[in-house]
Amino acid sequence: MPAETHVERGPLDRQQVLELIRERLADILEIGPETINEGSSFTEDLDADSLALIELVEALEEELGERSVGFRINDEDLEDLKTVGDAVDYVVARLAQAS
Amino acid sequence: MLPIAVDAMGGDNAPREIVEGAKLAVEELDVPVVLVGQPEALGDAGGLEVIPASEVIGMRDDPAQGVRRKKDSSLVRAAEAVRDGKAAAMVSAGNTGATMGAALLRMGRLKGVQRPAIATPIPVPGQTPTVLLDAGANAECTPTYLLQFAQMGAAFATARYGIKDPKVALLSIGEEETKGTTLVKETRGLLAGAGLNFVGNVEGRDLMSDAADVVVTDGFTGNVALKTLEGSLKFLVSAVFNAMNSSEEAKSVSGVLLDALSPVAAELDPDATGGAMLLGVEGVCIISHGSSSARAIVNAVRVAGEMVDGQLVDRLRGAVAAG
Repeated sequence: MPAETHVERGPLDRQQVLELIRERLADILEIGPETINEGSSFTEDLDADSLALIELVEALEEELGERSVGFRINDEDLEDLKTVGDAVDYVVARLAQAS
Repeated sequence: MLPIAVDAMGGDNAPREIVEGAKLAVEELDVPVVLVGQPEALGDAGGLEVIPASEVIGMRDDPAQGVRRKKDSSLVRAAEAVRDGKAAAMVSAGNTGATMGAALLRMGRLKGVQRPAIATPIPVPGQTPTVLLDAGANAECTPTYLLQFAQMGAAFATARYGIKDPKVALLSIGEEETKGTTLVKETRGLLAGAGLNFVGNVEGRDLMSDAADVVVTDGFTGNVALKTLEGSLKFLVSAVFNAMNSSEEAKSVSGVLLDALSPVAAELDPDATGGAMLLGVEGVCIISHGSSSARAIVNAVRVAGEMVDGQLVDRLRGAVAAG
């Protein structure tokens, strides 16, 4: 689902970023969004492997790149993102830099 | 039919053997083929269309990072050709993980499939092969992954070998339901109630028998089993040849033995299987082994064409949705 169909155009706040990541991750992992929270560990709680994380990264870049030109997630930073909350913080910071 | 996209840069013998195989496939099978790779490296492409790709994902490259960083690689461009409707299927003898990554990230995952799996045909002389999956895509698995592998494996066995209601088994260390890891025990219960023709647990020694048409396991165990079989067969072939040359008396009858053994050897030849199939993505993707010869590529193209005609992807979609 394109971002503009479920959120209004304009800067995304932290909660909207969390919802976006939760939706995309649920779709990729074929699990219910309600099972994903900020404290969820990608590997230990969600069984997300490296390819699943790359799927998430590409989905976020595609959606958020339309809103913030130049939005990109550095592959080198992925190792530091252990939980969903880490990813939310990271994306919020990158959006702020890109805008 | 749209052409089969062949990754000309993937494999130990690329691009020479791959290009030769692609040319032979067009001649022998009357199946259209498009090569994907660096045009200047391909040599005589025999007039085949080439989708240019400037980069190559090497055998030692990290699969996920390779796909992400090398966007103009032959693997990524081949997967995009399928996604964009320029090719009907893709074939690669390159980096297995990267092939899976390119197919997953560019073609997309089948809706409902938690994890794609690699299905490898294990030759069984005189019988249809046993489909082993997962042969290495997912080292860590859950019971629901294995259930989906069973559903997809059964659909593949029907599409590929025409087996109606294939016998599905779970790889374990004994037939008894009390044996095996927690994963095996939990999966057994799921498979028994899934509406499949589940015949219970089998052991590694049953892979090359008619005990089952589809054998399900996690990717770590499946890959160990596959490589153990490959190594054992390689050793056995070498030992037989050494024995036939061990004395003048043995040499004198080796011609007769070779005639008798040739058909068996042909059935066990990995180049004859058509390669492994990635199940669970939105397209037909064949992963040929790294040392593929031109003949292996011909067979892979043949199987790819058959699986497109046989609507493999729709069958897999239906099998998972029904489960």
